[in-house]
Amino acid sequence: MKTITITSVPGYNEWRIAARECLAQSIPPENIIWQSSESIQNDLFGDTEEVTPAPIEQMKHSIPKSVLMLFKYALCHQDISRFALCYRVLWRVIFQNKNLIQLKTDEDIMQLMTLAKAVKRDAYKMSAFLRFREVALDEQEHFIAWYEPEHFSLEIKLDFFQTRFKNMRWSILTPYRAAHWDTEKLVLEDNPDPSVCPDDDRIEKYWLTYYTNIFNPARIKKNAMLSSMPKKYWKNMPETALIDDMIKQSDARARKMIIDGNKR
Amino acid sequence: MHDKLIQKLEILSDAAKYDASCASGTAGKRKAGKTDKTGIGSLTGGTGICHSFTPDGRCVSLLKILMTNYCIYDCHYCINRVSSSVQRARFTVKETVDLTLNFYKRNYIEGLFLSSGIVGSPDITMESMVRIAKSLRIDHGFKGYIHLKTIPNASPELQAEAGLYADRLSINVEMPTQPSLNKYAPEKDLGAIHNSMNTLKDKIAEHKVDKTHSGKRPPRFAPGGQSTQMIIGADDSSDKIILGTSVKLYSQQKLRRVYYSAFSPIPDASEVLPLKPAPLIREHRLYQADWLLRFYGFNLDEILHNDMLDMDHDPKLAWALRNRHVFPIDLNKADKLLLLRIPGLGARTVQKILAIRRYTKLSWMDLTKMRLPLQKLKPFITVSDYSPAIHLLDSNNFELQFKQPKQFELFGA
Repeated sequence: MKTITITSVPGYNEWRIAARECLAQSIPPENIIWQSSESIQNDLFGDTEEVTPAPIEQMKHSIPKSVLMLFKYALCHQDISRFALCYRVLWRVIFQNKNLIQLKTDEDIMQLMTLAKAVKRDAYKMSAFLRFREVALDEQEHFIAWYEPEHFSLEIKLDFFQTRFKNMRWSILTPYRAAHWDTEKLVLEDNPDPSVCPDDDRIEKYWLTYYTNIFNPARIKKNAMLSSMPKKYWKNMPETALIDDMIKQSDARARKMIIDGNKR
Repeated sequence: MHDKLIQKLEILSDAAKYDASCASGTAGKRKAGKTDKTGIGSLTGGTGICHSFTPDGRCVSLLKILMTNYCIYDCHYCINRVSSSVQRARFTVKETVDLTLNFYKRNYIEGLFLSSGIVGSPDITMESMVRIAKSLRIDHGFKGYIHLKTIPNASPELQAEAGLYADRLSINVEMPTQPSLNKYAPEKDLGAIHNSMNTLKDKIAEHKVDKTHSGKRPPRFAPGGQSTQMIIGADDSSDKIILGTSVKLYSQQKLRRVYYSAFSPIPDASEVLPLKPAPLIREHRLYQADWLLRFYGFNLDEILHNDMLDMDHDPKLAWALRNRHVFPIDLNKADKLLLLRIPGLGARTVQKILAIRRYTKLSWMDLTKMRLPLQKLKPFITVSDYSPAIHLLDSNNFELQFKQPKQFELFGA
């Protein structure tokens, strides 16, 4: 039995190197225990003696790009079973069925899809719901955002933010890691201090004004809103503080429209 | 920015909310180039990101505002018609540009959706709108999304210029027929609207070619195409007339999207208008029918067997109920077009089924795993280890099992 401890989050690169090594030594998935350094559990029956690593060869097996993309997403999931799952799928794709990924009802594939989908959604929501606030740093505009993704989604969205806000200086802070961009270089920082994020922004009042007025009180669909924007995201979105009042007043506002219409 | 701006924003976003389209359409990918040191923004390829949702369930993706709500026209359904007593305001070009950029930099929006009342003349209005789009693109290197609602009677030159800066252009037809327009929007002319759409259609097609004979790429022209909107339930047009108009707009003017907006009462409404809002379920059914026409291979006669859509069932189920002889359909054998006709199977699920089918036979268990709406599917399908009991399709009570409780009713009659 081989034990592999992944020490970083999300652990994508570590997993890749380890998986390549295990493949080179032809170690089947059932002979590997994957753990992450945050959650090391004793395995009383396992033989933890290290196998002498064989020289690392280039992976000779060709893995479809679609599979690698799924791994990339799934490995950013919080679930620590992700490492074992991805290796098992990798093994099966190489030695059992190169079209495994098409079997959407295979247990492993379903699990992999579930993880990847959760991360994809989480990452999408990050690109949607993250809010920058402006500060002056060294007399230049700098934008700071605090965001709490459910998974390790910062890694997935770095490209997006660097592309979209290429010529802006910005910092995105999450509970586990921050990314700082100065228009040319990206610097990562673990466990950042959330207190550097400002409480206000000079434009925010215009955004709140816009949000209140673009809404049509004559057609409340609260559940539709909640399914796309569940409450867990509300904390760091300034406009959500207005929602309760908007709903409370909506009926009166909509009725007023009709009454005004009747007066003529 | 000062507080007058808040007031303007209140008035001009409030006036824009009756426009149904909210998300940005697909207009390809775009980003600031490597050497671009000032530009901002990107298009990611798919439909735009929904940056927030309001309690009416709608996505907030764009800064959707009117440049001004002053208007010389008197369209009855419009809150900004000349005879309305609504408060008026007007943004300057710079204010609109700054607001868009400031919102964009904070990740509130994907871009700008600019519409306007008609002030002075159609050309004067259109010219200011084009200046806003041009300033964003040229002065600020803005790579985000821009949707301009073009002014029906503006000159072809201005419309053509608008297409160079905007990702999508739209002109609202508002009413499906000329008689309805005459009654509700006396200054609007369906012929002129179609002419504008045709001009844009030709321009869009012209710029779609990959390379000109000199080997250069033509400049982009409204890569997201054209869209339009119809108001539902203000006039007495039937669903058949409305969808018939849509089919023509899709095929003749090559529109990307027709939006349906259930009439809802506006403050200071004109007397010609009904007092009650049109039921949202009607709008919903029209969208479902629109989808079936565009992506599911249905034609108009199949969807409508009389003038109005069935409000109790979605149009696909209603079709299935009228055509029971087609069912059950074998998920392991039927071709794509037939699979798309099964109530409860969406286009994506059909794709999945086709993919799985190449490698293995589908069983009932597989359907469970795919979390399909089995209760709905049950009477209509066959898989390797299941076929529906014959009474499921023949039973007189068949329709009853699909009856849904009434919903979407906002105001009791």
